[in-house]
Amino acid sequence: MSIINYASREIQFKIVYYGPALCGKTTNLDYIHKRINPENRGDLVSLATAADRTLFFDFLPLNAVVIKGFVTKFQLYTVPGQVIYNATRQLVLRSVDGVIFVADSQWEKMEENVESFKNLEDNLAKQNISIDEIPYVVQYNKRDLENIAPVNYLEYVLNNRKRRVQSFEVVSSTGQNVFASLNAVSQILLHKFSKQSDTPKTAPVAIPIEPPVPQKAGATV
Amino acid sequence: MNAIPCLTIEDVANLDGILGEFLKKAEAELTVVIDRGGNVISQFGDMTVMDVTIIAALAAGSFAATKELARRIGEVEFNALYHQGNGNHIFMNSVDDDTIMITVFGRRTTVGLVRFYSSSTAQAVGKLLKSLSTGGHGFSFDASDITATPVFAE
Repeated sequence: MSIINYASREIQFKIVYYGPALCGKTTNLDYIHKRINPENRGDLVSLATAADRTLFFDFLPLNAVVIKGFVTKFQLYTVPGQVIYNATRQLVLRSVDGVIFVADSQWEKMEENVESFKNLEDNLAKQNISIDEIPYVVQYNKRDLENIAPVNYLEYVLNNRKRRVQSFEVVSSTGQNVFASLNAVSQILLHKFSKQSDTPKTAPVAIPIEPPVPQKAGATV
Repeated sequence: MNAIPCLTIEDVANLDGILGEFLKKAEAELTVVIDRGGNVISQFGDMTVMDVTIIAALAAGSFAATKELARRIGEVEFNALYHQGNGNHIFMNSVDDDTIMITVFGRRTTVGLVRFYSSSTAQAVGKLLKSLSTGGHGFSFDASDITATPVFAE
């Protein structure tokens, strides 16, 4: 959580894209960087390895006028998804205001998705933040691929908590629902700090949750 | 409702006073106070030197990354970091558990002078920020102040 500077009339929010390795977190930021008005964004900073894997984090600062009388700055970060970089993920999560959890919809990635979500919960808990308190949405990415789990299965596995959150079917490479999910988490966290409401105007997406049907890897529904 | 901690205009003036005095004495170009999450709390000096938002994010990362290095030699963390360039340099020092101070300086001064004055400046900044957390007030806004249109558009 940042401090509001009344002299410059600025508010800063930090949004972190979290998820397993190669799920498309950096691709989200790349797409936003390419498509948003250049006047409303800074440079995309990527600390990546030679093989284009995120080593430290990616960072994209965005400006918006969404609260009367204030310039609102959103700082978008990604975490490195690879398991060994947990210390870096803890660092990037420091002072986080909102999270977009990016899940890989492919069947073979389901275990990694679950592990990554659990890792998110654990790392937030280390900062004394409960996943149930922080504004977050879930992306089901790579919906354009063939070997993907159905959305209700993903909902059962990743969004089956007491507080169900908004979820989006995303194709980050083409930009499908990339902005929709960013706008959703932005609105939720803005309303968290408003005087009159703790809840966003948009209701969570109601996708019926059904028990998982055992699937062989490679099966489609 | 959750209130956001805020710096009043008076707080900002006090902070600017401390940072302005430091820049004058140390003959540095720019100083930025950030939290360890990479958010800018206050800045003073020549803003055209760099994109402060990006430097804050990277500096917070750099500071945290060396923490493990410090542990390996029996320290909790390094209190200060110095990045030396050919003409421009960055000096970073810890203010408190949540805050870091970054100073950018060029050929007009030396790292010794910056280091010397940054120590007392960090103490003064820390004291001011501590008074905010104990006696400070939060800020919140009306839901009607939030624009109904999407925050970001393609």
